[in-house]
Amino acid sequence: MRKPAVIRTLVASLIWMSLAAAQQPAARQQVTRQGPVSTYKELEGKYPKLKEIQIPKVETYTLPNGLRLYLLEDHALPIINGRALVRTGNLFDPPGKIGLAEATGAVMRTGGTVSKTGDVLDQELESMAAEVETGIGETSGQANFFTLQENLDKVLAIYAGVLMHPAFRPERLELFKNQTRSGIARRNDDPAEIARREFANLVYGKDNPYGWQQEYEHVDRIERADLEKFYRRYFFPANVMLAVYGDFPTAEMKAKLEAAFKDWNNPQDPVPPFPAVKADRKGGAYLVAKDDVNQTNIRIGHLGGLFKDEDYPALEVMADILGAPGAFRSRLVQQVRTKLGYAYQVSAVWGAHYGHPGLFTLVAGTKSESTVKAIKAMLAEVDRLRQTEVTEAELTAAKEAVVNSFVFNFDTRAKTLNRLLTYEYWGYPKDFIFQYKKKLEAVTRQDVLRVTRKYLHPEELKIVAVGKAGDFDAPLKDVGKPVEALDITIPQPKQERAQADAGSLAKGRAVLERAQKAAGGGEKLAALKDAVVAINAQLAGPGGSMAVKQKVQYIFPSLIRQENELPFGKIVVYSDGRTGWLKHPQGQTPLPGPQLQQVRGELFRLTEMLLLSDRDSTRTVNFARKDKVGDREADVIEIGAQDGLQVEVWVDAASGTILKKGYKGEAMAGPQAKVEEVYEDFREVNGVHVPFKTVVFQNGKKFAESQCTEFQYNTGLKAEDLAKP
Amino acid sequence: MIRVILGFCLLWPALGQDLKEFEKSVTEFTLANGLHFISVERHEAPVVSFFTYANVGSANDPKGATGLAHMFEHMAFKGTARIGSRNYADEKKSLEAVERAFRAVEEEKYKGPRADKAKLEQLGKAFHEAVEKAGELAESEEFSRVIEQSGGVGMNAGTSNDSTVYFYSLPSNRIELWFYLESERFLRPVFREFYKERDVVREERRMRTESNPVGKLVEVFLSEAFVAHPYGQPPVGWASDVENLGATEAERFFQTYYVPANLTIAIVGDVTPKEIRRLAETYFGRLAKKPLPPPVLTVEPEQQGERRIEVGSPAQPTVLVGYKKPSQYDADRAVFDVISSVLSGGRTGWFYKELVRDKQIALDAGGFPDFPGNKYPGLFLFYSFPTSGHTVEENEKAMYALIDKLKTDKVDDETLNMVKTKNRAALIRKLESNSGLAGELASYYAAYGNWRQLFYSLDEINKVTADDVQRVAKKYFARNNRTVTYLVAPAKEKQ
Repeated sequence: MRKPAVIRTLVASLIWMSLAAAQQPAARQQVTRQGPVSTYKELEGKYPKLKEIQIPKVETYTLPNGLRLYLLEDHALPIINGRALVRTGNLFDPPGKIGLAEATGAVMRTGGTVSKTGDVLDQELESMAAEVETGIGETSGQANFFTLQENLDKVLAIYAGVLMHPAFRPERLELFKNQTRSGIARRNDDPAEIARREFANLVYGKDNPYGWQQEYEHVDRIERADLEKFYRRYFFPANVMLAVYGDFPTAEMKAKLEAAFKDWNNPQDPVPPFPAVKADRKGGAYLVAKDDVNQTNIRIGHLGGLFKDEDYPALEVMADILGAPGAFRSRLVQQVRTKLGYAYQVSAVWGAHYGHPGLFTLVAGTKSESTVKAIKAMLAEVDRLRQTEVTEAELTAAKEAVVNSFVFNFDTRAKTLNRLLTYEYWGYPKDFIFQYKKKLEAVTRQDVLRVTRKYLHPEELKIVAVGKAGDFDAPLKDVGKPVEALDITIPQPKQERAQADAGSLAKGRAVLERAQKAAGGGEKLAALKDAVVAINAQLAGPGGSMAVKQKVQYIFPSLIRQENELPFGKIVVYSDGRTGWLKHPQGQTPLPGPQLQQVRGELFRLTEMLLLSDRDSTRTVNFARKDKVGDREADVIEIGAQDGLQVEVWVDAASGTILKKGYKGEAMAGPQAKVEEVYEDFREVNGVHVPFKTVVFQNGKKFAESQCTEFQYNTGLKAEDLAKP
Repeated sequence: MIRVILGFCLLWPALGQDLKEFEKSVTEFTLANGLHFISVERHEAPVVSFFTYANVGSANDPKGATGLAHMFEHMAFKGTARIGSRNYADEKKSLEAVERAFRAVEEEKYKGPRADKAKLEQLGKAFHEAVEKAGELAESEEFSRVIEQSGGVGMNAGTSNDSTVYFYSLPSNRIELWFYLESERFLRPVFREFYKERDVVREERRMRTESNPVGKLVEVFLSEAFVAHPYGQPPVGWASDVENLGATEAERFFQTYYVPANLTIAIVGDVTPKEIRRLAETYFGRLAKKPLPPPVLTVEPEQQGERRIEVGSPAQPTVLVGYKKPSQYDADRAVFDVISSVLSGGRTGWFYKELVRDKQIALDAGGFPDFPGNKYPGLFLFYSFPTSGHTVEENEKAMYALIDKLKTDKVDDETLNMVKTKNRAALIRKLESNSGLAGELASYYAAYGNWRQLFYSLDEINKVTADDVQRVAKKYFARNNRTVTYLVAPAKEKQ
C-alpha cells in the first residue's frame, strides 16, 4: 500500500532515451546466416563484439557555502530531474523518539515553506505536473524534483525553498503523526512484512537504531521543535550533494543553482559517522503465530557484510548460485520450487551495504503443512554449499550473468550520475564498479567454498517463521534449533509519569487532602456504600451525534452495572472488576478484554474512590505541575495504582474542587485516545459535592456531553441484584 | 501518420519536431501468419528490450479450469524439445506416461462416492512416481538460465484478466538469441514439470490471496460484482480449479489462444529495422497461420441494485466500491481517465484532500478507472483504508459525498487544465525507458490495432469538458450500479 507523503523517489524515472537524431549503430560483423539456428549453442561464442559504452562526463562544482553540485546534460526529452543527497538518516533518531528522522523528511515538504503552505505547493506543483519530494531513510536524506523544462525556474524556486526554509507547520505534523499511528496499527496485517521486520530486528538487536521499532509512545513524543532541531542539524549546504540532469546547458544551470542557494548558510559541525552494528550471533528459531493465514513466511539468516569487503564478489557469486532473486537457475529455486513445489517465492541474498553489514537472508513462503520440510530443504542447501565446491557450470552461469549484463549499468546517463553520487557519499572509489567486475571475473570454485566456510555459520542462523503453527507438518523445533515464540502485539502507549520525589509526593498528598475537604471530607466519603445515577448523554459518533440514556449503579469499590438505552436497543454491562458480561439485543457475551479493561479504568477513576487514595496503600499520589482549566488556576496530581492504571486530576487551586481528569482510554482501534473529562454544575448529595455535568474530549475533540437527571447515594443496593442479567 | 503529428504540433509545439523524429524511428510489419511486429530504433546504448503481448488473459479461462492462462504463463519458461531436456525422446515418453497416470486418477475420481479408495491411493502413487521419473529427465530451468547467463535483465511475465505478457532486455549483440528463444517458446513448448508448477502456483495463490487480507478482499469483491462475465474469476484461479488442472487441457488452451495473429511483439533499442525484419521472418515465420480464437462473448447482465458483501478478517478495515462502466472501446473512455485524475491524482485529488488531509479518516484513498481490465466492460474502483478509530461506513459515506459532487458541481477549468498537463507529462515519461515504451506500443497495438492510440489518447483527454465529466458521473456512479465490499473484523458469534 502506498503511504501518503512518502518519498516518491525519482530514481525510478531516471531512465533516458534518445528521440533526437539517430546515432550510427555499431557496425556488425555478423555473418548473415540462412535460416534459423537449431539450438542456442550455435550462437554462443559467435556474438558480434558489443559496441563501446560511452560514459558521460559529469561536471562537478562546490559553491562557496560548501554545497556540491553534479550536473549532467541530457537533451533526449524536455524534462529535468534533480536529486539531493543529505548525510543524515534514521540511525540518528533519539531513543525515545524513534521515527523523528522520517517525520522530519516528510513534513519538510508537506508542511510547506515559510512563504507558502504545503497546500499551495501541492497546487502550484501539480498544475505544472512537477514534483518536489523529500524524505529521510536509514542512511541518507533525499530531496528530489522533476519538472518539464518549460517550468524549470518556478520549480527550482519551490525546491530551494523547501530545502532552505521549511516551515514544519504543526497541522501537517499532526497529520503525519496520525498517519504513522494508523500505519503502526496496520503493521501486522501482512505476514511477509512481519517476517521481514522481525528477522531484521532480531539479527541487528532491538536495543539499537538498526533493529529497534517505532511504537505509539514514540510518535506521541515527537514535537515540532524536534523536527526543526533535526532539520537544522543535518540540512546545511556543506552536508548536501545536489545532482541535476536533463535538458539544460550546464553553464546556465550552474548559474541558476548558484543564485538559488547562495544565501543558504547554516554552519554546523560535520555529521558524525553512523553507529556501528553490534549483532547478536546466537542462532535460534522464532515463531510468530498468525492464525488467519495458510502460508508460512520464512526468513533464515544472519549478519552479512559490506560491498567493499575483499570477499564480497565471491560471496555474491555464492549467494547467486544459492538463490539469486528472480533467477530460476538458483539451487533454492530448483530444489524448493521446481523439484519440491514447496514455494512460489524462494531466494537468498548475501546482504551488503556501503556503510554497515547487511543481512545474509534466505526467504520463502510455503503452505503451513510443508513449513518444517521447506526450512529443512533450505538449510540443506546452505550445508551443501559448505561441503563441496560448486560446479563449473554454476560458477560460469553466475559470473556470466553479471559480466554479460554489465552494460545495463551504463544504458542511461542518469545511472552514471547516480553511481558517482552514491560512491562519493560513501567514500568509495570512482571506479568501484570496475574493480568489482575484475574481482568477480577472477573468482574460482575454491574461492566460493572458502568464503562459504568462512562467512556462513549454520549455528548462528536465525529462523523466523510467521504462520499457523497448528497446521505445521512438524513442531518447529524439528529444524534443530531452540524455539522462541515472538509476541508481536502492538504495545499501547505508556502514560508519561512526572518525576516523583519526597517533595512532590508530599505536595500531592496536600492537594488531595484539600480536594477531599472540598468534596465534603474524608468521613462523609468513607460512609458512601453505593450510588445510583441517571444520565442523559449525547455522543458524537462517526455517523453524527447519538442520544443515550444511562442508568449506572455502583457498589463501592468494585461493582458496576450500567444500563444504556441506545437508538438501536438496550445494552447492559456488568462487572466486578475481574470479570463481567455484556448484554445486547442479540444476546449476552462475556465482557471482552478491551471492554473489561475499560470498566476497570472506570472503577479506578471513580471520584469517590480517588479522593480516598490516601487511605489505600497501593496507590500513589504525586504532584505533577500547575496548569489552568479555562481561566482557573489548578494543581495537577497524578494518582497511580499498582496495576499500571493512572489518572491526572486537576484540582482548583482556590476551592479544592476537582475540575478535570485526564487519562489514556480505549479508542475504537489502534492507539489509545487521550481522554479528558471536564466537570461543571456541582451540587450537594448526602453532604458530598458532586458534578452533574460532564464534557468528554477524545484527542482534543469533544466526544460526549452528559447531564445527571438523578443522583442518590446509599440506596441499599444488593450485589446479587446488580449481577442479574 | 499525419494526424498524430498535427495533433501534437498544436498541443505541444516544443515537441513537434521530436515526435516527427519519433515516428521515423518506428517500423512495423505483419508476417504472413498474422504476427505483428513494432520496432523502435534507439542507438544511445547497446541494449534492446523485447516485449511480447499475447491477447489472452484469465478472462479466457474456461469455467471449472480457472487459472489456466496464468498456468500457461508459468509453462512458457519450461523450455522446448531442445531446451530443458536431458534426453527428449525418453522424456517425451515419460511425459505421456504422466498424462496417462493423471487421467487414470481423474477417471477414478469422477466416480464420486463410488470411487475405490484403495485404488485411488494406488493410482495417486503411480501418478506421483511418473511425475518424479519425468522430472529426472528435465534439465530444469535451462530456458531462463540461458537468458540470464547471456546478460538478460528484467526477465518476467505477467497474466492479467485481459492479457499475458513476456518481457526482458539483452545486450544488443544478442538479438538473435531472443528471436530463437521466443519463437521456440511459442512454436513447440513442452509442458514439462507441469504438476510441480501447479503446486508452485497454488503457493503463489496462498501468498497473494489467501494469506493477504487485501488479496482476499479483491477476490470476493470481483466475484460479487460479476455474475456472468469472467472478470469475476481470479486470474490465479480458484484453489480447487488450480489443484485439478491438467497438462493436456493447458496444451489445448495454448493451441487455441497462442496463434500468431493473437500476438504482438515490440522491440525497442539498438536495432536496425532491416535486421529485425529478417530475423522475424526467419524465426517467427515458422509459426503456422491459424484462425483467431473467439473473444469472450458472455455479456454481464445489467445490474439491478446495489450489491454489498463483507470479508471477515483480523486485519485493519478496508472498503472497496466499484461502479460498472463500459470498456476501452466506449466513446467516453477518456472521461473516465479525467475523473480518475480529478478524484485521486496526487495531493490535489479530492480523495486525498478530503479523506486523508482534512478529515483524516483515511490513511490512503483513491480510484482506478479500469478494474480489473478494460477490454470488456468492467468497474471504476474506489478504495479507502480507514485510519485508526475511523470506520469503513464513515469512509464510504465520505467517498459518496465526493462522487456526488461530480454530479452536482461542474469541475472548474483550473482542475481540468491540471489533469491535462499531468497526462501530457505522463506521456513524456512513458517514452523514457526502452522496456516501458515497448510495453506501451505492443499493448496499444493489440487493443486498438494502432500503436498511435498511445498519442491519440492524449488528444481525447484534451477534448474532455466539464459537462462530459458531469454527464458521465451521473450516468454511471449510481447506487444501483455499484458493488460495495468491506474488510472488517469478523462478526461476534451470537450466544
